[in-house]
Amino acid sequence: MSTKHSEAAKRFIANKEQRTWHNETLWLVREKRDRLAMAVPEWEKLRELSSEIKLHTITHLDKYAEQFAQKAEANGVVVHWAKDAKEHNEIVHGILAAHNTKKLVKSKSMLTEECHLNKYLIEQGIDVVETDLGERIIQFMNIPPSHIVMPAIHIKRQEVGKLFEEKLGTETGNSDPTYLTRAARKHLRDQFLSADAGMTGCNFAIAETGDIVVCTNEGNADMGTSFPKVHIVSIGLEKIIPNLNALGVYTRLLARSATGQPSTTYTSHFRKPGEGRELHYVIVDNGRSDIIGNEEHFQTLKCLRCAACMNTCPVYRRSGGYSYTYFIPGPIGINLGMLKSPQQYADNVSACTLCYSCNNVCPAHVNLADQIYRWRQDLDSLGKADPMKKVMSKGLKFLFGLPALYNTTLKFAPLVNHLPRFTVYNGLNAWGEGRELPEFTGDSFTALWKKGKVTKSGKKCSTLKKQKP
Amino acid sequence: MKVGLFIPCYINAVYPEAGVATYKLLDYFGVEMDYPTAQTCCGQPMANGGFEGEAVSLANKFEELFGKYDYVVAPSASCTAFVKEVYPKLLNKEQHACQTSGKIYDLCEFLHDILKVKEMPGTFPHKVSIHNSCHGVRELNLSSASELNIERYSKIKDLLKLVKGIEVFEPHKADECCGFGGMFCVEEPDVSVCMGQDKLKNHIATGAAYITGADSSCMMHMQGIVKREKLPIKFIHVAQILASGL
Amino acid sequence: MSSKNDILENIKRNIKFTCDLPDISCLKGMEYADKIAQFIEITQGVGGNAYLLKEGEDINDLIKTLYPEAKEIASNLPDITIATRNPDTIDDPHALDGTDLGIIQGEVGVAENGCVWIPQNVRQKAVYFISEYLVIVLDRKNIVHNMHEAYRQIKFSDKYGFGLFISGPSKTADIEQALVMGAHGAKGVTVILK
Repeated sequence: MSTKHSEAAKRFIANKEQRTWHNETLWLVREKRDRLAMAVPEWEKLRELSSEIKLHTITHLDKYAEQFAQKAEANGVVVHWAKDAKEHNEIVHGILAAHNTKKLVKSKSMLTEECHLNKYLIEQGIDVVETDLGERIIQFMNIPPSHIVMPAIHIKRQEVGKLFEEKLGTETGNSDPTYLTRAARKHLRDQFLSADAGMTGCNFAIAETGDIVVCTNEGNADMGTSFPKVHIVSIGLEKIIPNLNALGVYTRLLARSATGQPSTTYTSHFRKPGEGRELHYVIVDNGRSDIIGNEEHFQTLKCLRCAACMNTCPVYRRSGGYSYTYFIPGPIGINLGMLKSPQQYADNVSACTLCYSCNNVCPAHVNLADQIYRWRQDLDSLGKADPMKKVMSKGLKFLFGLPALYNTTLKFAPLVNHLPRFTVYNGLNAWGEGRELPEFTGDSFTALWKKGKVTKSGKKCSTLKKQKP
Repeated sequence: MKVGLFIPCYINAVYPEAGVATYKLLDYFGVEMDYPTAQTCCGQPMANGGFEGEAVSLANKFEELFGKYDYVVAPSASCTAFVKEVYPKLLNKEQHACQTSGKIYDLCEFLHDILKVKEMPGTFPHKVSIHNSCHGVRELNLSSASELNIERYSKIKDLLKLVKGIEVFEPHKADECCGFGGMFCVEEPDVSVCMGQDKLKNHIATGAAYITGADSSCMMHMQGIVKREKLPIKFIHVAQILASGL
Repeated sequence: MSSKNDILENIKRNIKFTCDLPDISCLKGMEYADKIAQFIEITQGVGGNAYLLKEGEDINDLIKTLYPEAKEIASNLPDITIATRNPDTIDDPHALDGTDLGIIQGEVGVAENGCVWIPQNVRQKAVYFISEYLVIVLDRKNIVHNMHEAYRQIKFSDKYGFGLFISGPSKTADIEQALVMGAHGAKGVTVILK
C-alpha cells in the first residue's frame, strides 16, 4: 500500500537534517504569516470578501474577460487568446520571432511553467533567462521549482555557492547568501540590459481598467520590462478581478499570506505600452473554463498562488516539493493536478491527513482539504484506488455492519497482543514501521457493559441543576 | 433529557476505560444514559480512505440506533465531527434527513456548551500537555484554530482547569497534526511516523507527564511511537482526568 | 479570434449559477491614531527608512548627508539641484546604468504597509529600479491608513501608462530564506516626508 508520493516522501525523510531544516524553515514562514494576519483585525472579513469577489468574477468570467480585453486594447495593448499551452507557446514565440528576439528575460510565472514555455522557446533557439534569484538557481541546475513562491527552498547555500563558482565565477568556497546574491545581481543586470524582450506573469488582471498587476520583492519583473522594447504577459483566466477596489482586498492578503510581509516590495501596475514599445497580453485558458463547470472543484479557481497552504501543510513540509508528481505541490497542487488529469496525478491524493489547516490559511477560502476528501471518493471509479485499502474498507464495512461479528472480534482481538513479534511487525504491516501496535484490552467496553461492569460512582454534582429535556 | 452514549470502535476495543470514565462523569452530572449495544463504527476510516459508500449503511444503522435520543455524546472529537459533517451528505443522497447530525456532541463540547459545568469532582496532581486534535480544533471548534484571527479559547483547557492540582500545558505548534490521519497512517507511514515523532518532541518539551486529549485515535498513533522508541510520556483520555475521583 | 470566441463560449457554457459582487466599501480597514508615525515605523520594518524633513531644512543637503558617496544622481524633480542626470531627457534607458542614487516623487503613502504610490512621472521608469539607492519624496499630508483608501485615490499620470507601489528596498530570501537587501533594485530606500 504505497503511492508515488509516499515512496518519494520516504526518500526525502531519510535525510534527517534536510527534512528537519525544510520543515522548520517553512514553519517559520507560517509563523510570520500568522503574526501579520493577527495584526489585521479585519483579517477574517478580508478572506471572506476575497472569496466572494472571486466567486462573483468566476461566475461572470465571460463578461469580465471580455471587458478586460476591450479595455486593454483601448489602452494600446495587443491582446491574444490561447486555448491551451501549445497555442500560448506559439503566440509567445510568434511575438518574439517578429522582433527577432535572441534573449528573453523572464520573471517568475507558474503559468509559463504549466505550459512548459522555456523548453519550447529554447528549442526555437531563444536564450531564455529566468531572473528571479530562486528561479535562476534552479534553471542553472536544470530542475523544476519545489515550491511556487520559494522555488529553490530545497537547495542549500553550499550548493548555490558551488553552482555560482561554476556558472558565475564566484570565489571558491564562499556560500554567504549576501555575497552570492550580489554576484547574481551583477550577472542578471547584464542580462536585463542585453535582453530583447521581457516577460512576466500576472498576479491580478483588472477588468475595469485593463491593467495587469505584478507583485515581486526582487524587482526583477520591473527590471525586465524597463529596458527591452517588448513586454509579454502570460495571464491565466482566473487572474481577472473586477476593479481596483477589489485589488485593495487582494494586495492586503497576498504578501501577508505568502511570506508574512505587509506588502511585496513592488506592486507594479502595467496599463499602456511605454514610448516606442509593445505590450502583449496572452490570456490563457488551458482547462480553466472547463473547471468552472465542475461544481465540486471549481473553487480552486479562487487560488491566489500564495503558497500559504504549502507552508502550513504538515505533509508538504516533511516530504518536499518533489514528492508530488504534479508541478505544483502541496494541497493546492494535489487538487490542480487532479483537475488536470486524475489518471496521471492520482498518486498525490494520499499526501493529506485531512487536518484542514490549509483551509484555514487560504486567503481565498478555497476548501482544499474537503476537495482532497472528494477526490479520494473518486479514486475507485477511476480505477486508481489502492486494492489493499479497498479490501480493508470492504472488510471493515462487513465487520461493522454486523454487531455480533464485531463483538466477537472485539472478544478475540486481545489475541493479537500475544502473536509472535515477527508476524506482527513484518513488511506488510505499515503501522509497525515506526510504531508498536496498541494493546487490545481484555474486555471491550461493550463486554464490560453487558457484564454490568460499567458502573456509576454514586457521587453527584451538587451545583448543577437537574437537566430538563 | 436522555443521552445515547456512542463509544467509537477503537475506544471500545483499546481504550474502554475512556468509555467507562465518560459514563461515570455524565452520571455525576445527572445525565441519564443509554448504551445501544448494537453500535459499531461511524464509518470514518473508510470514508477518509476514499470509500464513503461503505459508510452509508453504517450511517443508516447509526440513525436507527441513536435517532431517538435528545443528545448523542461520544468521547471522540473526530468521530463526532464525521457524524456531524458527513452524515447529512451521505443520507441526503438517500433522501433521508439526518437526525443525529444536529444532536451529536463530543464529550468536552457537551460538558462545556450544554451542561455548562463549573466544577469537577476530583484531583489530578500532574502536568498534562493537551493534544489539540485537528478535527477537534478545525471541525468541532473545541479551541480557536491557530490559523484564524479570532478570539483565543479552549474548551478542553477550560474543563481541565476545573480539576484540582492539575497543571495544563500546550505544545509548541499547538494544533499541528500528529500524522495519524486514518488510513493515511498506513498509506504514508514515513510521513506519518515523522509527524508523530515531531509532535511528541513538542509534547515532551512541555515537561508534562501525560498527553491528554479528546481523540484516542491520535493518541493511539503517538502511543505506538512512544512504545517503540521508549519515550518518557504517558497518555490519558481527557474523560479519565475529568472523572478523577469517581 | 476563434480562440477568443471558443474560450468565452466555453466559459458561458460552464457557468451553472452566479454569485453577486460583495459590497467592498462596507469593509473598514485598519486606521491609526498617528498615520505618519505608523508609516515611519513600518517603513523601517520593511527595511527602508523614513525621514521627516524639518522646517527650513534643505532637502539637497539632507540627501547629501544621507548618501555622501553617491556620485551619479538621477532626478527630474525641480527642487533637486544635486542631480547629475535627468531621466526625462535620456532617450535610451540603458544610459541610466551606473546611477548611484535616484530621487523620485511619490504621491500616496500607505501607513499599513509602507507602500508609496508612484505613477510613472519620468520618461524612463528604469530610474526607479536601476538606481543603487532610492530616495522617494512624499508629502506627509498624503499618507492614508490602508490599501483600500489608497486604491480609491491613486491615479496614473496622463502621459504614462504605468504606476507602482514601492515598499522598502528590493529584497530576496531565495538562498536558504536568508534575507538580503538589493536583489535587483535599490539596496536601500529613504522616504523623505515633506
